[in-house]
Amino acid sequence: MANRLPEGFEALETWAVDWALASHNERWDQRLRSTGEDLRAFYDAILPWLERILEHADRFPLGELPPASARLFDLALMHAEIAPNVELYQCDPHVPHSFEERRFIAAHGDDPH
Amino acid sequence: MSAAEPRRWAKTYPWLGEDPIPTAPCTSREIYLQEIDRVFTKVWLCLGRVEEIPAAGSYKLKRLEFASTSVLLIRGKDGAVRAFHNTCSHRGNTVVAPSGDWDECGQKGAFTCRFHAWTYNTHGELMGIQDPQGMPPCFDKADNGLTPIACATWEGFVFVNLDPEPAVGLDEFLGAMGDHFAGYPYDKLTHNFTYHTVLNCNWKVGVDAFAEAYHVTTIHAGSFPGTFSTGLQMVKLLGDHRTTAVCFDPGREPPPVARLAQAKARGSLVNNLATRSLPPTLNDEGRDDYAFELSVFFPNWLLHVAEGIWFTHQFWPLGHDKCLWEGKYYVAEPRTHSERWALEHAICLQRNAWLEDTGTMEDTDFALRSGAKPVMQLHDEEVLVRHGYHVLDKYLSGTEDR
Repeated sequence: MANRLPEGFEALETWAVDWALASHNERWDQRLRSTGEDLRAFYDAILPWLERILEHADRFPLGELPPASARLFDLALMHAEIAPNVELYQCDPHVPHSFEERRFIAAHGDDPH
Repeated sequence: MSAAEPRRWAKTYPWLGEDPIPTAPCTSREIYLQEIDRVFTKVWLCLGRVEEIPAAGSYKLKRLEFASTSVLLIRGKDGAVRAFHNTCSHRGNTVVAPSGDWDECGQKGAFTCRFHAWTYNTHGELMGIQDPQGMPPCFDKADNGLTPIACATWEGFVFVNLDPEPAVGLDEFLGAMGDHFAGYPYDKLTHNFTYHTVLNCNWKVGVDAFAEAYHVTTIHAGSFPGTFSTGLQMVKLLGDHRTTAVCFDPGREPPPVARLAQAKARGSLVNNLATRSLPPTLNDEGRDDYAFELSVFFPNWLLHVAEGIWFTHQFWPLGHDKCLWEGKYYVAEPRTHSERWALEHAICLQRNAWLEDTGTMEDTDFALRSGAKPVMQLHDEEVLVRHGYHVLDKYLSGTEDR
């Protein structure tokens, strides 16, 4: 069951439903199945909150986030995953002119956070 | 890139020549078999880090298809790291059964073959078998340990040599290259991200694609626009190995998230940091635009080091037209969540750049196999690629001059 986001971040709840994903592989998959419009909308929605999210997460020792804060931090990690696509690849959800992304195996891909 | 003297590396290393390079070594099955016979089963190969096998009984299993073996690296109870063929002395079964199709690390007090429970200690000695009274008188446990493989470490990297009697030791094999890269804090920057895949290309097509910076303005127009200079600096050809500095192109303003990530990152290739932790052999000209060192340890291992981050590529042959690629990225352990977030941005960007690099490899291999081009024409800035074929030819033609 999803944990609600911490107090003060309720406005991001609609994004958390689909985009607060705990592992590198889940976030990578979410990017690959998104459209460029999806990525732009998520990027624009989170960007003004990004530094506040990191300040919130830094109140806790690394790896000791309460569930709601972990869910919030996952949104920031998801934003890191898609930021290059928005900032560098003109919102192409794939890395342009690249190897087939799904053939790359991340040894750490299923680890949480 | 700054205006450099044309053909400066050809003038620096005139003995390499400037002729086109034959493409047959990338396409020929016969030459591939020679490479396995004269290179991959004769020279020292990097198989991992000592941190992967930290305690007595720690092991790493590495499958080497080209030699039809899997290598078992074990840290013994005496603290020493040893390498063995993962082959039981009884009927030849694998002692450690692989659980997947890639490397695995683990910890065991003893190594017991699943087939008939013959058991070896952490030094590879045969300790016990089932029903020993049933073995013939000629059988001696002391003669039936695991078959050792020559193993040595350099700066915490574990190397093996599959030749039962290596022609030279690891220190001599690395030579000046070992001196050049010694003293970097590999053991402090141990937080690792690894990607791997099987590529339908010759292993050298992969190595060569990473062994020059001539491609950065085209291949990395996406992930590293205007970040690095295409011109190499401080090229050094050191025995069978080769290294160069890659420098930053000045003046690029990063976009918002990239800027925040660079401000918070402890290790990112795109951060221009003072090169404080590099040993004095690196950036010996003291350039303030120094980005990272790009190097190839013959035959198949690329080591790149920068301030606060280092990474490796390795290409393991699986045939003349197939190889396993492993990319490993190392930084210091993040201390805070914001450092962890910045690291996620750095590794995503690096992964994306590697996707751009690997994107050419299968296409290149396919096109070469057409036979349309018997030679490749190399630019002066591809001097490391040229040196690679020079060294390979030395091994294949049997004119080793060490």
